[in-house]
Amino acid sequence: MPTSPSFLHRLPVLILLMLAAPASAQVGATASGTDAIEIPAADAQPAAVPVPDLREQLAACAICHGEHGEGATEGGEYFPHLAGKPAGYLLAQMQAFRDGRRLYPRMVYLMQYMDDGWLGEIAHWYAAQPAHTQRVESTALDAAARARAETLVYSGDPERGLPACAACHGDRLTGVEPGIPALVGLPTDYLIAQLGGWITGARSSKAPDCMADIARRIDPVDIRLVSTWLAGQSAAPGERPLPAGSVEPPMPCGSLTAAHDPAVTTEASP
Amino acid sequence: MNRRGIRWGRLALLLPLLAILLVGVLMFRAQGGFAPFKVPEEGSRPAALDDAQVEHGAYLARIGNCVTCHTTRGGTPYSGGRVFQSEYGSIHAGNLTPDPETGLGDWTLEEFRHAMRHGVSRTGPLYPVFPFANFAHLTDHDLDALFAFLGTLPPVKAAAPENVLTFPASWRHGAVLAWRMLFHRPRTQADDPSKPAQWNRGRYLVDGLGHCDMCHSGRGAMQSLPVEQYMAGGHITGLGWYAPPLDRISLERWDTAELADYLRSGVSRHGSAYGSMAEVIYTSLQYLDEGDALAIATYIKTIEPSLSRRARARNRGDLVTTGPASANGLLIYQNHCAQCHGDDGRGRGLDYPPLAGNPLVASASAVNSVRLVLFGGAAPTTEGNPRPYSMPPYVGRLADDEIAAVVSYIRAAWGNGAPPVSLDEVRALRRIPLD
Repeated sequence: MPTSPSFLHRLPVLILLMLAAPASAQVGATASGTDAIEIPAADAQPAAVPVPDLREQLAACAICHGEHGEGATEGGEYFPHLAGKPAGYLLAQMQAFRDGRRLYPRMVYLMQYMDDGWLGEIAHWYAAQPAHTQRVESTALDAAARARAETLVYSGDPERGLPACAACHGDRLTGVEPGIPALVGLPTDYLIAQLGGWITGARSSKAPDCMADIARRIDPVDIRLVSTWLAGQSAAPGERPLPAGSVEPPMPCGSLTAAHDPAVTTEASP
Repeated sequence: MNRRGIRWGRLALLLPLLAILLVGVLMFRAQGGFAPFKVPEEGSRPAALDDAQVEHGAYLARIGNCVTCHTTRGGTPYSGGRVFQSEYGSIHAGNLTPDPETGLGDWTLEEFRHAMRHGVSRTGPLYPVFPFANFAHLTDHDLDALFAFLGTLPPVKAAAPENVLTFPASWRHGAVLAWRMLFHRPRTQADDPSKPAQWNRGRYLVDGLGHCDMCHSGRGAMQSLPVEQYMAGGHITGLGWYAPPLDRISLERWDTAELADYLRSGVSRHGSAYGSMAEVIYTSLQYLDEGDALAIATYIKTIEPSLSRRARARNRGDLVTTGPASANGLLIYQNHCAQCHGDDGRGRGLDYPPLAGNPLVASASAVNSVRLVLFGGAAPTTEGNPRPYSMPPYVGRLADDEIAAVVSYIRAAWGNGAPPVSLDEVRALRRIPLD
């Protein structure tokens, strides 16, 4: 293959860029596993316990979820943020992957030989990172579609027995401690896949599985509408989940009882 | 003259039949004769002697890793149902809890001992995925403790799903009898008085309860375990990971204490446990007491790599090179790997495994390296390593030819000297089931 002179001119620059990439990444990773990072002041959680920096240990997570769990990495636009999500929720999801309640092979594969103690530490570490609940994409919806999505999100659809998303996930849709995740700051595809997963059983929670009931009542067209609308919403920078007890869920949820169970929400070790 | 000819003709017909019969009789005797099929009909179900016996049984069940095969993901421990895939179809593990209908609830101790040693239960012969040839080495003391422990589990009503097998493997009585006649040669193993007690204990654990050879030995025809491929390394049936050889030369770099530590912690400066070994350590070996871990390490470091070279050569057969790699392995290594594993491939302590001079990286089979690059991995959490480091998955980040190039690079670099990995192998492994 003939090589153009302009390519040859650019080659040294390309090589420099390629060499620079790992070097700059290295700067972020020099902190040793024992260094503590403080939870940001904006954190609404009580008692800001120093959480050990787990970035080195969690290199496998970072490649898709970002170094601090900010989500939607380059080449991994599908993947959800973890940063700032309630620790109880994050732990329950990792346990679900490990124990066969949430079927996503790549996560199952990475979680399967990890005990509750370590999963709890991972959950607390991501929960302590600055929340990433800002819009990751925006798709224009026409007025009728937007109105339908907003009705579903804030009022639900009593005819179908659908509670409002906001009834559990909070008025700001940023989730509620300790077990309800944010619905903002997530890609459309991810949101659609989760609702689909609840319908097929690829994703499940402890009984009574409220989200499975809800997903099976939503019209598939509405799933797309709501997911697209949610992906276009933004919380304030760093806005965290509401404190525990902020919402009274309109239907019984096994996952919430589990998240409140002190046996499940392990504390981050000092 | 004529009459004589007829007589010879009959004899000529009869002789091969007689020979076949004789060989059949000899093979039947070689697999143990009728004795294995005489499942004790009389027996008792003794109450556990004491708490110490149950505790001993619980320890043995842990280190024998009964729970891993007899539990589904997220299922009740020991209630069975886990599926094992092979070229003949799928086989499901039984329920070991004391449920009278679907478990061992009305088994007698004599039946349990018999099934463990001979691989035949009241329902007939068990498929050899159950390591009865190993468990035949167990003492009555240990078998009785295991049975006592299993009897203390909460009974779970859980019938194992039907096996799905192709004919003739699906004809259990016939197929297993034929397999036993061809390959099963019962052996008991007495302690070798010329060896220290620790070595004998190690061999008892490795060949008996530990059934290490089920993964670490090479497989012969019909999934048999030929003596000459003992611990020569092999592909784990149905799971696709490669279990490396365990012998004096392969384990040269480890001192006994390091190896014992690794068995319990899952990490060492020579490498960490991923894949099937991570599972074995997570569910089983991390609970070894220090003495047993040292005993196992002591024994496996003395295994002679007798004919393993031949087995290794056979394993190399799946490495078909397809000409020079189309991507630059060194450049990919520098961009994605060197940050942790180092330009010199030496890794860092217990956190980042060394790639240089690592026999697993340079082993006959590249499946482990390719799978780790594709899907990442993490060492298991153990008391000795509660916060394991992890390897990022590069599927979706690197193309198949880039993965082939970078794995070929680490296999060749720093004197590793192993042949390259082909694009086809990476493509095949990309489709491997992960969970």
